Amino acid sequence: MPFGLLKYGLSKDYPAQHHFTPSSTELKKHYDVVIIGAGGHGAACAYYLSKYHGVKNIAVLDKGYLGGGNTARNTAVIRSNYLTEEGVSFYRDSVKLYQNLSNEFGYNIMMENRGQLTLAHSDAAVRSFRWRAEVNQHLGVRSELVDRQTIRELVPNLNMPEDGRYPIMAGLWHADGATARHDAVAWGYMKGACERGVELHQLTEVEDVLISNGRVTGVKTNRGTINCGSVVQAVAGTSSVVAKMAGIKLPVHSFPLQAMVTQPYKPLLTPHVSSPHVHVYVHQTSRGEFVIGGGSDPYPLYNTRSTLDMKESLAAAALELFPFLSQARLMRQWAGITDMTPDYSPIMGLSPVENYYLDAGWGTWGFKATPICGQTMAELVATGKPPELIKPFELERFYRHQQINEAGATAASH
Amino acid sequence: MNEFETTAPDSGLRRSQLYRTQQQGGAEFASLNGATVVKQFAADDAQQLKSLAMVDLSMLPRSGFKGRQAPEWLTRQGVEIPAEPNRATRQQDGSLVASLSVQEHLILSDLQITAGKPQQLENDWQMDADTACYALPRSDSHAWLLLTGEHLRDMLAKVCGIDFAAEEFANHQVAQTSVARLNSILIRDDVQLADGSTVLAFHLLCDVSSVEFMWDCLQDAMDEFGGKPAGLAALLA
Amino acid sequence: MKILNCPLNGPRNISEFIYGGELHEMPDPNRCDSREWVEHVYFHENAAGIVREWWCHSATSYWFLAERNTITDEIIRTFPASEVFNQRVEFTAVEGE
Ligand SMILES: Cc1cc2nc3c(=O)[nH]c(=O)nc-3n(C[C@H](O)[C@H](O)[C@H](O)COP(=O)(O)OP(=O)(O)OC[C@H]3O[C@@H](n4cnc5c(N)ncnc54)[C@H](O)[C@@H]3O)c2cc1C
Repeated sequence: MPFGLLKYGLSKDYPAQHHFTPSSTELKKHYDVVIIGAGGHGAACAYYLSKYHGVKNIAVLDKGYLGGGNTARNTAVIRSNYLTEEGVSFYRDSVKLYQNLSNEFGYNIMMENRGQLTLAHSDAAVRSFRWRAEVNQHLGVRSELVDRQTIRELVPNLNMPEDGRYPIMAGLWHADGATARHDAVAWGYMKGACERGVELHQLTEVEDVLISNGRVTGVKTNRGTINCGSVVQAVAGTSSVVAKMAGIKLPVHSFPLQAMVTQPYKPLLTPHVSSPHVHVYVHQTSRGEFVIGGGSDPYPLYNTRSTLDMKESLAAAALELFPFLSQARLMRQWAGITDMTPDYSPIMGLSPVENYYLDAGWGTWGFKATPICGQTMAELVATGKPPELIKPFELERFYRHQQINEAGATAASH
Repeated sequence: MNEFETTAPDSGLRRSQLYRTQQQGGAEFASLNGATVVKQFAADDAQQLKSLAMVDLSMLPRSGFKGRQAPEWLTRQGVEIPAEPNRATRQQDGSLVASLSVQEHLILSDLQITAGKPQQLENDWQMDADTACYALPRSDSHAWLLLTGEHLRDMLAKVCGIDFAAEEFANHQVAQTSVARLNSILIRDDVQLADGSTVLAFHLLCDVSSVEFMWDCLQDAMDEFGGKPAGLAALLA
Repeated sequence: MKILNCPLNGPRNISEFIYGGELHEMPDPNRCDSREWVEHVYFHENAAGIVREWWCHSATSYWFLAERNTITDEIIRTFPASEVFNQRVEFTAVEGE
């Protein structure tokens, strides 16, 4: 193997071609499409536009680096066991796309189908899980209510005292639940897009959106002004700030969401375990680290500092479920800024500005939606018509009082 | 009025939310003022009050009033109102009035239950459209514990974020804060014991439906200092 | 822990408080159209910078106002709501609708 490496190093294949646009590339004067934000969502949209719709004159702009926002910070939970018909159908199609994504890219995204278990600690939770399981099964999602005995078999080392303050009464078992390498998803999409002529411009911040007669005509950046036919904003935490440049107000509040990981251990925990009641979720990565996440910060903020309060409450809740972690050392704690909507569903689709498209309101749940959101947003940009799957998620739904309430199915924030 | 009567513990008309917990803790019950209360936990209750103890006062009278004109109305009834919020004032009859805000006041009976004010105010109050003063009865909404003893500050430091050092927190000062993660009212009101000595004490009022949780948390926090529950007899002696 | 200064109760751990939303003017419910009302209820400025907002001290249910920098996580000032609201807000329903 070392010889193989040496041979490669000396061959003319090395250094390998750039995956992405070289940073020296100048901005052009005009693009057909400008995508603000090179997270998973922006990259996916560029990929599907260039591969399936023949739109290749695209610039993806990011004020930081490719996949350096929430795409780099999320806990990679992929699932579709939501509550509403619109939500379940949408996320179900995303999970399907994820299943084939490594093949689609020719690039390993390390998809792991280990299932997800959500715990019910009250009668009300059991009732809502039964409801979710029914909706899920009806829409072709593997989801079922399981009893304590089954929970014990699925997760033998889960702490299940009968007389605890919050006894575990039942669970919602979601065999389709999975995780994937979050960075690889953004890289895979961007690589595929760049191979088809899309340009990625990092360290390029959009400072203003140019509009004439109610129609978007370009964007002003720290590297100059560019004209374009249409714009997609996919900036997650700063959705309100960028939308405001286009004169659009959103039903969004930006809250930090924190998570942390322990030192690595041998494999101990197979599925992802989540408890909306004690506000924590835990899974063990293939590297052996335990990932611990939970609820958002208690007040809005555009600052990714970590807090001791959150470390304490996450640790307390995680120990409630897995007391054996009491000796574990924490290696990292971090935060991302999440764009929370009142109904815990995203905002995708048309905006009040012509040819300006919204991909926002992803809050604490948007990683799992990356493929389907990219695919449907690309169709929207290419055809100007919102695909059926995302029509219900348009900004107008608030004016029609047709919110898509996923608050209950998102309670442990992932 | 304040005499203990020996009756069967379950014969009283009223008893504390903590009754079963106290029963398990080996309490000796008696009837006081028409309610079943803990007379004694152990023979050395009096000693316990000096070091670290909690006493359930939930069966003692208390009341409250709130509204823009509550201060005027209370003054008219002869209540001496504290000069600023989060202070308490001892009344002539021995009851204690705490200002929770400019417009909200809490009235606690004295430990001997000789003060007439809490009951009298409740009797005299009438709904009156012209006077913005509303009754806020506290007997059923709030549990009432008395915490005493020289180790009290150390114990409170474990369950509450406020600095109760003597120079920071004077007698009759009030803190409305979080104790063991439950919203609580804390009023410093040092008490004189039977042997004439004065000991640091706080009234703690919290939501009655969570008081069993509070009791367990306080017990847990007290353990390392040898703190225990005590009965009312040692306090009234 | 972060400390917030409650105008009624003094400096306290921020965990004793509940964030209560942006301070913004309510449109006249009898005159505004449905879209304006929706925006009043659900939409937010969500500004990055210094904002004015409601907070509630949960142990006393005391509502007050704060100026806070949402970029630096600094609380600049807290003050009683009476500084802004010095008159009673009357609600009158329009008859016959
Ligand atoms: C701790 C944490 C855990 C999470 N866990 C999960 C989970 O388990 N499962 C799940 O599905 N979701 C999860 N999420 C949510 C998920 O991470 C996000 O919803 C998702 O990553 C959003 O992707 P995005 O591409 O839209 O945004 P991002 O990846 O944040 O990308 C937005 C990009 O826009 C750029 N940008 C912003 N403003 C400008 C500007 N003016 N000009 C140019 N560029 C700009 C930023 O630099 C950034 O790179 C979690 C989030 C966090 C913070």
